Amino acid sequence: MHIILVEDDTQLGAAIQRALERLAYTVTWLHDGRAALIALRDETADLVLLDLGLPGKDGLEVLIEARRNNIKTPVLVMTARDTLEARVAGLDAGADDYLIKPFHLDELGARIRSLTRRMQGLAANRIEVGALSLDLGTSEVSFRGERVELTRREFSLLQTLMERAGRLVRRESLENSLYGLDNAVGSSALEVLVHALRRKLSFETIQNVRGFGYMIPREPK
Amino acid sequence: MKPTSLRARLRWLIVIVLVAVLVPLGVLSFQRTIKEVDELMDGRLAESARTLEVLIQHTGISSLSGQDGRGDLVPVPNETAIKLARSKHAYTYEAEVGFQVFDSLGRPMLATANVIDLPAPQPGDADFQDLHTGQYNWRVYTLRDVAEGVTIRTAERYDSRNGILHALWLDHGVPLVIGLPLLALLVGWAVKRGLQPLASLAQALSSREPGSRKPIHLGQAPLELQPVLAALNGQLERQEDALERERRFSADVAHELRTPLASIMINLESAIATSNLTEAQDSLAGAQHSVAALARRIEQLLALARLEAGVASGQRTAIDLVEVASDVIEELTTIIADSGVQLDFMQQSPQVIVQGYEAALAALLRNLIENALRHVPQGGQVQLIIEQGAKEATLDVIDDGPGIPAEQRAAVFARFHREKSSRGDGYGLGLSIVQRAAELHGASIELLDSPFGTGLRVRVAIPLGE
Repeated sequence: MHIILVEDDTQLGAAIQRALERLAYTVTWLHDGRAALIALRDETADLVLLDLGLPGKDGLEVLIEARRNNIKTPVLVMTARDTLEARVAGLDAGADDYLIKPFHLDELGARIRSLTRRMQGLAANRIEVGALSLDLGTSEVSFRGERVELTRREFSLLQTLMERAGRLVRRESLENSLYGLDNAVGSSALEVLVHALRRKLSFETIQNVRGFGYMIPREPK
Repeated sequence: MKPTSLRARLRWLIVIVLVAVLVPLGVLSFQRTIKEVDELMDGRLAESARTLEVLIQHTGISSLSGQDGRGDLVPVPNETAIKLARSKHAYTYEAEVGFQVFDSLGRPMLATANVIDLPAPQPGDADFQDLHTGQYNWRVYTLRDVAEGVTIRTAERYDSRNGILHALWLDHGVPLVIGLPLLALLVGWAVKRGLQPLASLAQALSSREPGSRKPIHLGQAPLELQPVLAALNGQLERQEDALERERRFSADVAHELRTPLASIMINLESAIATSNLTEAQDSLAGAQHSVAALARRIEQLLALARLEAGVASGQRTAIDLVEVASDVIEELTTIIADSGVQLDFMQQSPQVIVQGYEAALAALLRNLIENALRHVPQGGQVQLIIEQGAKEATLDVIDDGPGIPAEQRAAVFARFHREKSSRGDGYGLGLSIVQRAAELHGASIELLDSPFGTGLRVRVAIPLGE
């Protein structure tokens, strides 16, 4: 899952990026409002973590402008502005959730998962497709009742495919979700990742439409 | 004390002015009328005498010769008959009149009965006289030597004349007596009506929510109320501005403190959660950086508080800017060394004395130098120049960093603005300290082009004062 983080504080930005990457998210870190707006327009992110006190363009303005441009990407606002008015203004401007600094990593993670669930129309952290079971909270995956150890990227890929089980997911969409705005990734990286995942599960679990994308069927054999 | 009412005051003033003008005017006009009436009646008396004269000349004097030495008496109707006649014909101004005719020796020849008791005419008498009989006063006209020394007297009773004057007085006085209270009532209404905008203003003020600082609007404020409204709205606006500045400041402070706090929390939690040593070390280093940033911001806030407190209690004293600058540079030695930036202090004279507050000037210098150091990359340079001019002392902090585009400079001090190139390093707080300290000394701050080609020149000009 690809998250755009907009935070101008060097240390906090780096800390969140490190922490989220450890949780198998793909994070693109931007430092100011103008860059954030440009990135939002591309609609490549699955979620945006937005600081409000930004240089260049205030976070709230970014949010309002993005929503005016009909960009529906979920936005989680992180801010020091804790007054009722500020929170109401933030939510009314189109924020999907509001997190007040300072916050715990666990809470940030939980809110990201909650927004993700809402986005996917899921009610719980656990996604199950056939013999596959994936827990977003604990990052645990089991296949035919056996626990499977996955790397961050493998987990992320599996999550994306399971969330859209039964549907073909285009490879550009997968690459974006896995590598974010990082263009330096080779075109074979996705194939390598799919290969690794098939080895840990079974070959038939992930189906391939050559040159187009991948899918996990609703009832894998 | 009961408050004076503008409305009552106006009403009374107007009524007093009206009375002061109308009453003398009425009295004057009444007096004029009395005089005119007197002249008119006197004229009528003279006229009657002339008529008699014509009659006597026509019939001849011999016809008037009296027998008993008292002359002939012409009967006059008695009073009741007169009253009856008057009520029938209603001649309001018909007067009680009489006449006498005397021969050349002063013997009465002919007279009406009502004037028979009047004293005989004397040679020196004026044309018009006021004479008395038993109970009446008479106005008398004497016409002498008409023919063969005959003297004619016509007379009119004063009470008839007074009746006319009485009627005239009623005509003049009654409207005034009735009119004035009516006028007072109408003036009261007019004043109330005229002061309606004041009542509207009071209504607008009293119907406001408590603590509201929205400007007051009256549909169409009259000219006299406009300065009041403008002053009131100006006051409200300044209050709103001050509050807005205060709000922005506290929001800024919250941001400046909570952001590093958030970073510390996330970094420490990450360090605990990970099993990867490098990652844990990165997180701890991040937390350490944020602790330092937090400490610096708290120092800045304390400096700002001390600055306000020092000013509240202290007096301005003679301060040597060169000495203050040297102290600040000494304090910053470690930071300067760590930054890898070359700092040059150029002083024109060994002393530059201004009247001011030492702590505030030190805070101003420290923040300007720190800001410059933070925005200049390693190997860059910062210059501090202190000069004494004729009217002001100037502090210049010049750097060769990225600078601020000319079109954005005005906005830097406008609010707790954060410059695009600064990555949330407490720049906002530092600038508000600089701004507050400058304000205390009546000093101006200018952001200018740097003589290095790139970078910024911050110039603070402190007036030397008295």
